[in-house]
Amino acid sequence: MKRTSFLLGALSGLTVVANADHLFARALADTTLPGLPGGANRTLVLINLQGGNDGLNCVVPHGNPDYYRVRPSLAIAQNEVLAIDAQLGLNPNMRAFKALYDKGSVAVVQGVGYPDPDHSHFRSTEIWQTAAPDKYLHTGWLGRYMDDAGLPESNLFNGVALSQVLPEVMIASKTDVPAIPSERGYGLVSDRNAASRTAYTQMVRDARLPFQSPYLSHVMEIEDHSQRGSQELPKLIAGYKPAGSYPATALGRSLSLAAQIVGSKLGTKVIYVQHGSFDTHVSQVQTQNRLLGEFSDAIAAFYADLAAHGNENEVLTMTFSEFGRRIAENGSRGTDHGEASPLFLIGGNVKGGMYGAAPDLSNTSNGNVKFGTDFRSVYATVLERWLGKPSQKILSGSFSTLPVLA
Amino acid sequence: MANVDVAGIHRPTGSLDAADALRPYGGPWNDRWAAHLLRRAGFGGSPDDIRALTAMSASDAVSSLVHFPSDAAPPPPDLFDPIAYVRETYGGRRPADVGADQKRAIGKDVRKQERQSILSMQAWWLDRMLNSRAPLQEKMALYFHGHFTSAAIQKGVTPPMVLAQNQLYRQNALGNLRDLTRSVSKDPAMLLYLDNALNVAAHPNENYARELMELFTLGVDHYSESDVREAARAWSGWTVYRRSGEASFVGSRHDGGSKTFLGKTGNFNGDDIVNVIFDRPECATFFATSLINYFVYNDPEPQLVDAVAALIRKNDYNLAPVLSTVLRSNVFFSDRAYRALVKSPAEFVIGAHKALGLAKVDDSAQRAMAAMGQVLFYPPNVAGWPGGQNWVTSQMVISRQNFVAGLVTSQVIGQSSWLPSVPLKAQSAAQALIASILQGDASPLASAQLADYLNGTGESAMGMLSGENRDERVRGAAYLTMAMPAFQLA
Repeated sequence: MKRTSFLLGALSGLTVVANADHLFARALADTTLPGLPGGANRTLVLINLQGGNDGLNCVVPHGNPDYYRVRPSLAIAQNEVLAIDAQLGLNPNMRAFKALYDKGSVAVVQGVGYPDPDHSHFRSTEIWQTAAPDKYLHTGWLGRYMDDAGLPESNLFNGVALSQVLPEVMIASKTDVPAIPSERGYGLVSDRNAASRTAYTQMVRDARLPFQSPYLSHVMEIEDHSQRGSQELPKLIAGYKPAGSYPATALGRSLSLAAQIVGSKLGTKVIYVQHGSFDTHVSQVQTQNRLLGEFSDAIAAFYADLAAHGNENEVLTMTFSEFGRRIAENGSRGTDHGEASPLFLIGGNVKGGMYGAAPDLSNTSNGNVKFGTDFRSVYATVLERWLGKPSQKILSGSFSTLPVLA
Repeated sequence: MANVDVAGIHRPTGSLDAADALRPYGGPWNDRWAAHLLRRAGFGGSPDDIRALTAMSASDAVSSLVHFPSDAAPPPPDLFDPIAYVRETYGGRRPADVGADQKRAIGKDVRKQERQSILSMQAWWLDRMLNSRAPLQEKMALYFHGHFTSAAIQKGVTPPMVLAQNQLYRQNALGNLRDLTRSVSKDPAMLLYLDNALNVAAHPNENYARELMELFTLGVDHYSESDVREAARAWSGWTVYRRSGEASFVGSRHDGGSKTFLGKTGNFNGDDIVNVIFDRPECATFFATSLINYFVYNDPEPQLVDAVAALIRKNDYNLAPVLSTVLRSNVFFSDRAYRALVKSPAEFVIGAHKALGLAKVDDSAQRAMAAMGQVLFYPPNVAGWPGGQNWVTSQMVISRQNFVAGLVTSQVIGQSSWLPSVPLKAQSAAQALIASILQGDASPLASAQLADYLNGTGESAMGMLSGENRDERVRGAAYLTMAMPAFQLA
C-alpha cells in the first residue's frame, strides 16, 4: 500500500500522494523550525544504558561529603575521580570520554526523570521509550517522530535498531524499522539457499489470493522488507571504511556499524544502540566500571571515526537509562532501583558542559535523587533543536527545551 | 492510569449484515472453514484435525470445540516456591542475623530457580496449546492472560502464584465473567501485580480499582475519578500474606463506610463493586468488543458489538452460550472474517507445529517467541498485547520465518505425521503442501514458485525432485509454504 503510493508520487514527479495521512505528514515535514542550520543529514544515535545506571558513581559528586557517608564501600576516592570541577567529576574508567568532555563535545544533564517515578525496570523502560508516564502507548517517541517526519517511504533504513529485538522507542505506526543485531546476523536464514531466496522473493509479491484481509497488504509489504533489507544493506554500506579501530566489545561493534550507516548516507535519521546491564544490585563497582569503560572507549572510537570522515557534527548521541539508583548503597556492595539520574548528549554541535543541579543527597525522594529536568524536555530539545520537528504532538504535551545545542 | 492507544487494528472492508450476523451459518462447509474454526477456537489444526472437522456438520464441529472434555493432562510442572525456600533457608533467623554474603547467595539462587520455573511453565503451556483435547480452553486462558494481565516475578509474584492464576483462567474458560472477575480480584498474583495488596483503609491504593474499570470491565469514559476512589475504598483490606503467599481479607484494614459508586450507595465491599459494574450495559459492551476482536475480526462495527453485548446480557455473562452462538454464526463464517486477524506469536508457533503434524513443541519455541514479541507470563504491560498490525514488523517477521526455517530442519520434523508422504512429483507435492498448510490460500505465482523449487528448476537448477533429495527439498518447500503471507493470518 505504502509502496504503491510512493511509486505514484515518483512516477508523476510530484511529492504529492493521494492520501490524507501522507499529505499531513508532508505538511509537518515542511515545518522545519526557524533558526536551524542545515539538518538534512543529521542523525540521532540513542544509547540505552539498560538496567538503571548508577548516576552517582558515573558523574561523581566528589566534593560532597554526604556522598562518602552514604556510600562507604562504593564511593570513588576523590583522587581517582576525573574531576570536572571541585564538586563533580567522571568515573575513573571514562578517561577517553573525559577527553571529549574537555573538548566541549559532551553535555551532561543532571537529575533527569519524571514525576511519580516507577521503580520497575519493565514499566520505567516503557515510560522512557514511549515518553508516556501516565498512559500505555504502543509506539515510541522516535517511532512517532519517524511517522511524522515525512521521510521517504521507499527507504528501508529511515531508522534502524542495532539490537536483536525492536525496542519500543522505535516502534512506529507507519514506519517499518529493522532490527539489525549485526550485519551478519540480520536477515532470513533461508536466503543462504539461492533457490529458496528466489522463491521467497517472488512468493511474497503476488497479491492474487483467494481471500481478502485487512492485514494482507501490510504483511506482504513487511515480508518483502524482511528479505530486501538484509540483501540491500551490505551493498549500501560496503564502500565505507572505518577510520581507526574500535574496542572489541558489543558496543564497539554496534557503534562501528552505526558510523558505517551514517557515513554511507542512507538517509538514516535515528539509530538505536544498547549497552548493559547496569542493574548493579550486587558488587556494583566491577560491573559498572567495566560497562562505563566500554562506553567511554567505544564513544571515543565512534567520534574519531566520524571525525575522520567529516561526520562528527552530523551525529548527536544521547544516552538514557530507565532510572538511576538508590543514593545509599545496600548490604551487597550494590545499589537498588532509584529515580533521577544524569544523561549525556555528545557531538552534533552540543554546547559542552554541565546542565541541571547536582543531586541533592539530603533532600531526597524516599532515598532517591529527585528529578530536576523532565526527560521529555530533553526529548523536546532533541526533536526541535536537532531533528527540526515540533515536539508537542510527538510528546503529547508542551515541554521547554534546554540550551544544550548550538 | 489513563487511556491505551489501539493503533494498527483494522476492520475488514465490506459491510456488515447486522440482522443476519449472529444467525447460525448454513453455507458451504469445507476444509477452509474447518481450518478457520480451528485457528480461531484453538491454535490451528493438522491435516487430520481439519479432515475430522470437515467430515462433521458445521454445527457439530463447533459443538466439538465448545463442549470440550475436561483435560488436565499433562499435570503442571513442579514449581519453585521462593516463599517456602526463603522461610526454610532462613530458619528461625531474622533477616538482620543473616550475613550479607549469604543473603546474596540466597537471592541469586532464588532468581535462578524462579527463572527456571517460569521456563518450565511456559513449556508446559505451549504443550497444552499443541496437545490439549480442549483447545478452546487454552485459547480462552490466553485471552484472559492478555485481558486480566499479571506478570511473573514482579512485585513479589511467585511462580506458584502465576500458575494458580493461569489455572483460574483455565477453570473459568467458558464460565461466568462476573464470577471470574470477582475471583481474579482476589488472586494473589493480581493483588500483588496491581498493588491491591497494599490497599488499606487509612491509605487507599487506587491502582487496582482503576484498572478494574479501565482495562478489565468498562473502558475509559464510563466512570469518574470519584468512582475510582470509592472502588478503592471498597477493595481495601485484601492483601497477600508474605509468609504464605496466600490472599486474605483483613477486616481491620477494610474501609467499611458507605460508598457511592456508579450512582449506587451502600456499604460496598469489593464483590459489590464488581456486581455494580456488571449491572452496567457498558460492561457487556466492553467484553463484546474484546471477544469479537479476539475471535471474529478487529474494530467491529457498533451494531455487531451491540448484538453480542445483548447476547452477553441475556446469558448473564455466561460465556459458553455466548461463544457457542458467536462461533456458529454467519459473521464468524463470513469472507470478511476469514484470515482477517494477524496470528499472535503463540498462534503462529503452535499453528506451525500443528500444520506439520508435530506432537512435541520444539525447544527453540520459547526464545523465538520472545523475538516475535510475546513471552507467556510476561505481557508488555497491564494492557496486554496490542495485536493486529503490531505483530508485523520486519524484525518480528524475520523472527517468525527463521523460527520455521529452524523447525523444518530440527529433530522434531522427523515426527511429522504427513510430510514423508508428500507425492514425489513436484507439481503434486506443491499442491499437497498448499492444500494441507494453507487450504489453497496461495497466489498463482507462489504455487508456481513452490513447484519450481521442488523441481530444482529456475535459475539455481538443483536437479529434479527425487528419492535422494526429497527429504531436504520437501522440508524447504514446507518452510516456503509457511513463509507465504496467508500463514501469518488467522
